Amino acid sequence: MSETYGSPNDHQEHCLYEIRIKGHLDARWAERFESMSFTHESDGTTILYGPVVDQAELHGLLRKVRDLGLPLVSVIQVDL
Amino acid sequence: MNMPILSTKLYIPLLRTRVVQRPRLIERLNEGLDRKLTLISASAGFGKTTLVSEWVTGCDRPVAWLSLDEGDDDFTRFLTHLVAALQTIVENIGGGVVSELKSAQPPPTESILTILLNEISALPYKFVLVLDDYHVIDAKEIDDALGFLLEHLPPQVHLVIATRENPQFPLGRLRARGLLTELRATDLRFTPEEAAMFFNQVMGLNLTAEDITLLEARTEGWIAGLQLAALSMQGREDIQAFVPAFAGDNRYIVDYLVEEVLQSQPDHVRSFLLQTSILDRLHGSLCDAVTGQQDGNARLQSLERGNFFVVPLDDKRQWYRYHHLFAEVLSVHLREDQPDQVAELHRRASMWYEQYGSMADAIRHALAAKDYARVADLVELAWLPMSRSRQETAVLGWLKAIPDEIVRYRPVLCVEYAWASLACNELDAAMDRLLDAERWLEMMVHQHDLPEGALDKMIVVDEMAFRRLPGLIAVYRSGHAQVQGNVPAAMKYAQQVLDLVPEDDHLPRGAATALLGLASWTSGDLETAHRMFSDGLASVQQSGNITDTIGGAVALATIRIAQGRLRQAMHTYEQGLKLATEHGEPKLRGTADMYVGMSELCREHNDLHLATQHLLRSKELGEHTELPQNPSRWHVTMARILEAQGDLEGALDLLYEAEGLFVSDFFPNVRPIAAVKTRIWVAQGRLFEAFDWIKGEGLSAQDDLSYLREFEHITLARVLTAQYKSDRAERSILEAMELLERLLQSAEEGKRTGSVIEILIVQALAHQLKGNIPAALVPLERALILAEPEGYVRIFVDEGKSMMVLLEAALKQGIASNYVYYLLTAFGKAEDIKPAKQVVNEPLNKTQSEAQSEPLSERERDVLRLLRTELNGPDIARELMVSLNTLRTHTKNIYDKLRVNNRRAAVRRSEELDMF
Repeated sequence: MSETYGSPNDHQEHCLYEIRIKGHLDARWAERFESMSFTHESDGTTILYGPVVDQAELHGLLRKVRDLGLPLVSVIQVDL
Repeated sequence: MNMPILSTKLYIPLLRTRVVQRPRLIERLNEGLDRKLTLISASAGFGKTTLVSEWVTGCDRPVAWLSLDEGDDDFTRFLTHLVAALQTIVENIGGGVVSELKSAQPPPTESILTILLNEISALPYKFVLVLDDYHVIDAKEIDDALGFLLEHLPPQVHLVIATRENPQFPLGRLRARGLLTELRATDLRFTPEEAAMFFNQVMGLNLTAEDITLLEARTEGWIAGLQLAALSMQGREDIQAFVPAFAGDNRYIVDYLVEEVLQSQPDHVRSFLLQTSILDRLHGSLCDAVTGQQDGNARLQSLERGNFFVVPLDDKRQWYRYHHLFAEVLSVHLREDQPDQVAELHRRASMWYEQYGSMADAIRHALAAKDYARVADLVELAWLPMSRSRQETAVLGWLKAIPDEIVRYRPVLCVEYAWASLACNELDAAMDRLLDAERWLEMMVHQHDLPEGALDKMIVVDEMAFRRLPGLIAVYRSGHAQVQGNVPAAMKYAQQVLDLVPEDDHLPRGAATALLGLASWTSGDLETAHRMFSDGLASVQQSGNITDTIGGAVALATIRIAQGRLRQAMHTYEQGLKLATEHGEPKLRGTADMYVGMSELCREHNDLHLATQHLLRSKELGEHTELPQNPSRWHVTMARILEAQGDLEGALDLLYEAEGLFVSDFFPNVRPIAAVKTRIWVAQGRLFEAFDWIKGEGLSAQDDLSYLREFEHITLARVLTAQYKSDRAERSILEAMELLERLLQSAEEGKRTGSVIEILIVQALAHQLKGNIPAALVPLERALILAEPEGYVRIFVDEGKSMMVLLEAALKQGIASNYVYYLLTAFGKAEDIKPAKQVVNEPLNKTQSEAQSEPLSERERDVLRLLRTELNGPDIARELMVSLNTLRTHTKNIYDKLRVNNRRAAVRRSEELDMF
């Protein structure tokens, strides 16, 4: 976790996130996931990758994952 | 055709289809019935709702059910709906709770919940309360409330919560004390035996044990997945091929299976499923309209029977919805398969709702279709019904969603926009819209001089309304001028309305006549004002607009009060109330305002208990029954009651709040809240603040007098008198006396007896300060003679001790003895009655001895320390870095514990108890 985690100024401009879920998610869902890119991994997971404006948007994405009954594997903030 | 949303939220969604019997789970749930809470926590598609509805309908206790949705993520709505759910099994339970909630200043959450808990604990039987979809709740306040409820839950109720994520209130303690039954995903997923029963008995598929094992492994017992798999296999020849293909695939189960399901359905079913996914709620005829097919209701019923994720919303099998997960997936598929169709489908739904249902739903779907021309058409046609029920806020919201270039070509819509903006206090926007409309009307007049086709772009849907525009525009211009305080312009436009509009068009004529009345009111000619305004209201009422008629009672009564005719004012409010109740349910806007008005008059008669009761009643009715000014008026009235009970700090706090809630309207603001506050400062001896107010308002004793500023000028005279009392400088008392003399003359000329009485009282007190009792008794006697027939009390008693001394002197002189004697007995009274705050907040039932044994908390001691200083409420709140509401809760608790009802008494008591 980066140093800034949980600090009041969580409005860092566009952090990049990788959200890994179990199952290969069809690209038709891209629009529902704020146009993040989808990568199907060989281990049967999908990585949603893209910029996330702030914590609120991140939680919104996670809520969509939850509501579709998608098992969540990991959430990572990445630098590239 | 339309079904009220609430009843669908309270319906136990019992599926009629055969479901898998799950005795092991039912047994665990039954075992937990005598614990406090059953928590069913698992992600979407684990059969939570199905299991709970199966269980509760089979258990022998009454059940209250509440299906939550995003709209419930607001404490007030949540609790309102929770009470509605309870009322399905216990009539009238929690009625008081709902009304408390809707007040502008609800009591602390815990005391509201305590009322509810007390009512529940009085019930002679046990019942089950189900909260389904609790995961939509984010509001901490609701989690806290639920935590509190659980902590104090009486044995009568067993709570069941079904949710996709663990709730935020603490579960550990409940677990540790064995008060919690928990079912999670591992418990809910289908065992291989259940999966076998489901596939082979419920869905009639005849799968082999091997197939079932494969499916079970691939879905991990996730019921939605198994159910979709079963739907995909129905009617297939090649089940043997399907199972391994699905089991070997890595795709998101729902994606894979929904495709399979859609492919395996006949075309008309497939398109039915996709196209109806845009609907929140499904009704046979609505589905027909959207899909262009027939037999929608039969289709819905067969989908339900076929386990197609269709949930019934009523027991008539008319309204349904899709399981949320299924609907979400279908709508993504729809957007992929038929992206160009989506808008058209919404348009069809909009047309259906226009014909059979609610205008609001029709407009919602038209907005979703981005068909703004249609939105504009519908909003234009909705103007009359929406204005009659004063729903300007909703109308303005819709209008703002329509692009400008569409509004501009529609003169009727422009004027409707102006109406809604004016009603929502957006004055500038209103004027811009009127200009747009006027341009079209101007072109209509000169169309012969214009090039061919200049008017072709103009769009009018409601011809009737269009013909009335000139009159309506003049009404709104007059109203705008009235709000701006521009009396001549208000009168000019109102006269224009009367010249333009035919005799039988009651609404604009009535509005114009009423506006002329308001203009007379603003300039202080009250008798004309009252006559014109009531004539105007009569016409408005004739046009079918009851709400504005009820609201108008506030203006008429306020005029009567200024004239010193309290009995007529009371009668006016009673008539308004009668009009409102004759209308029946739902209660009209303006109803709550009547109670606030009656409360103000009861307070003057010194019936503080009834005055408080009226305010409570006003709260009980809820905010949908009040006009925009009511919250502020409520607070001012409550403040005056607290003032009468000697709680000046509490009164000030409420007045600060009232200022925040204040919205101006067409009525002249003849009693500005700032002046009411200043009078309290004077009573507290805080002249510094009082002079600040004088400076800020630019008032001086030499001003020209007008009725509009009369109340402020009397306040100024009071400040000057108080100034003399503290520094004995002749100049200020002389200024006050001169000002009062001029005020008296002006009030007498305008026949404003209410003002006259008050001015005479202030004169009497000024003479008394100068030590001249005989001179003081002259105006006092006049005031008594004028006030007696109307039953004034507080106007004298609020003046406090000096008035008591004066009245005793009057009694010795034999002046109005019966009345004076009556007034003197009223002086002691305020001490004996229960403070209004307690009536409003029905504190937790504490016995006296308990209250004595309760020490103050650390925080309360901090507050008490500051109560002993000169700081006022807002200052103390700032000092402690809490909100005024929180501070009030603290002071209320301190007062309760010390058994006093005002700040001064609290300080005195704490000193007696030697607390510092």
